[in-house]
Amino acid sequence: MSATAARSALGHLPDHRTGCVAWRWLRGLKILLPFVALVAAWWAIYLSADFSPQVLVSPLAVWRAFVHLATYGVMAEYASTSLRMIGLAAVLSLLVGVPIGFAVGVNRYAAHALEGFLRFLQGISGIAWLPLAIIWFGFTHTTTLIIVIYTLIVPIIFNTMVGVRAVPETYTLALRSLGASRLRLVKDVYLPGALPSIVVGLRLGMGYGWRALIAAEMLVRKGGLGDLIFGARTFGQIDRIITGMIAIGCLYVVVDRLIVQPIENLTVARWGVLRQ
Amino acid sequence: MSMASASERSPMRRALDRLVWRLLPLTPFALVLVAWVVYWAVVRPPPATLPAVQDVVVAMWELAAKGELATHVAASLWRLLLGVLLGVITGVIGGFIVGLNRPIAEFLSPLIVFFNAISGIVWLPLVIGWLGIGTALAVFLIWNTVFFIVFQNTVLGVQLVPQVYEQGVQALGGGRWETIRTVTLPGALPYILTGLRSGLGFGWRALIAAELVGATTGLGQMIFGATEYHRSDIIIGGCLLIGIIAIAMDRWLLLPIERRTIERWGLVFDARKEE
Repeated sequence: MSATAARSALGHLPDHRTGCVAWRWLRGLKILLPFVALVAAWWAIYLSADFSPQVLVSPLAVWRAFVHLATYGVMAEYASTSLRMIGLAAVLSLLVGVPIGFAVGVNRYAAHALEGFLRFLQGISGIAWLPLAIIWFGFTHTTTLIIVIYTLIVPIIFNTMVGVRAVPETYTLALRSLGASRLRLVKDVYLPGALPSIVVGLRLGMGYGWRALIAAEMLVRKGGLGDLIFGARTFGQIDRIITGMIAIGCLYVVVDRLIVQPIENLTVARWGVLRQ
Repeated sequence: MSMASASERSPMRRALDRLVWRLLPLTPFALVLVAWVVYWAVVRPPPATLPAVQDVVVAMWELAAKGELATHVAASLWRLLLGVLLGVITGVIGGFIVGLNRPIAEFLSPLIVFFNAISGIVWLPLVIGWLGIGTALAVFLIWNTVFFIVFQNTVLGVQLVPQVYEQGVQALGGGRWETIRTVTLPGALPYILTGLRSGLGFGWRALIAAELVGATTGLGQMIFGATEYHRSDIIIGGCLLIGIIAIAMDRWLLLPIERRTIERWGLVFDARKEE
């Protein structure tokens, strides 16, 4: 998205390499500037009163904690645990959720029957099932995974269903009158028609799922960034908590902007017309 | 049933169809219930793993009779109310300030993207140290969650109000404040309410998560406390209650408000109608 914006803004400029680089630097600075202001404000607050290290630490201390965690590979370990978990949950949820969404979406009655149930499940957040999951599966990765899948799969099923329902009936009728099989219908009409909606569901689910993952990791305490920040709480290591929070935010933004959003843009650009 | 009979359905038949259509959403609930009863009758799992349906009902009834249930529900709803109120007030005010000033919006947008990514439960370990365990902590987490959703929707709504309308009022001599009051606010209202509706849903999730560790009362604490004694009847009952409250709030509180606003002030966009 930002690439196209930059390109269109550069449209009237000669396409020099130097111009491009300078432009990118400028954009980068503009993104960093508010963070510089924030850190300055934080530092000012820190210096203005005598905070105990249990309450607030300086940005420098957070930087040191980050360097410490990064050099010993601890940060990479915790972050990769979380990323692996959310990736696995996303893949499994898509594999299970999309077919269910299709099966339900093509039938008016089934869709109507399931809608309320899905809304109800969405009302019980995944994290509310955590106590039961702990009883059933113990303090294990399985527990975390199940909570995250539960959180992810409901919006995926729901949006697949809505996407399939939104495909105009004329398209299916047209293909059917030409003798297309059911599989053909799914492949050529329902899947492309519903894809933008499925991707929106995935993106929404990732938003819920990432939070559920962090919360579950806090309570299950078997690795992951949630475990990192909650564990640091026990020892009052504010520097580690803030480092972990920054990592959680950055990773989410990176996953959302570099993986999920490009997929969304691609599908909408490629198949989005069907939505209207 | 042939097409001929469909065209000349009796009123009786149509009423029956409508009844079936209205009862249809209950079938998944009924299926789960039947599966649960049958599974329990056949496998007889230990009650700590999966209690019988009647045990859940009895457990909830006992909690309700002792008045404990009401305490937990009241604590949760009170926190939700406070957090959502704070989130909506700050979100709308912030959204207007940012939405009406493009330079500020551009300057702040990276910060908003970042803090939105860590909104809610991620703050828990840090804020426990500041506010301690209890209502203040839960309210902070709900506020933090609701704020960003309401804020972003407000900014969107404010920015999408066609400038022609604002210019129209200004051309007739309306001041800045009057323009906001008569044009921007009603124009942005449908978006604000959509934000409120999804914000309440997110806030409810954040609350339950916060209460699991950061409170001594509330529904989240009720189910997490039950884990220690392996009281899965209380956990399941609590989860169902959490879902029922969420649905009830959405159906009877927010949906009607949203509908009315969209009917009254909605711009041309379609509010996707249910079938």
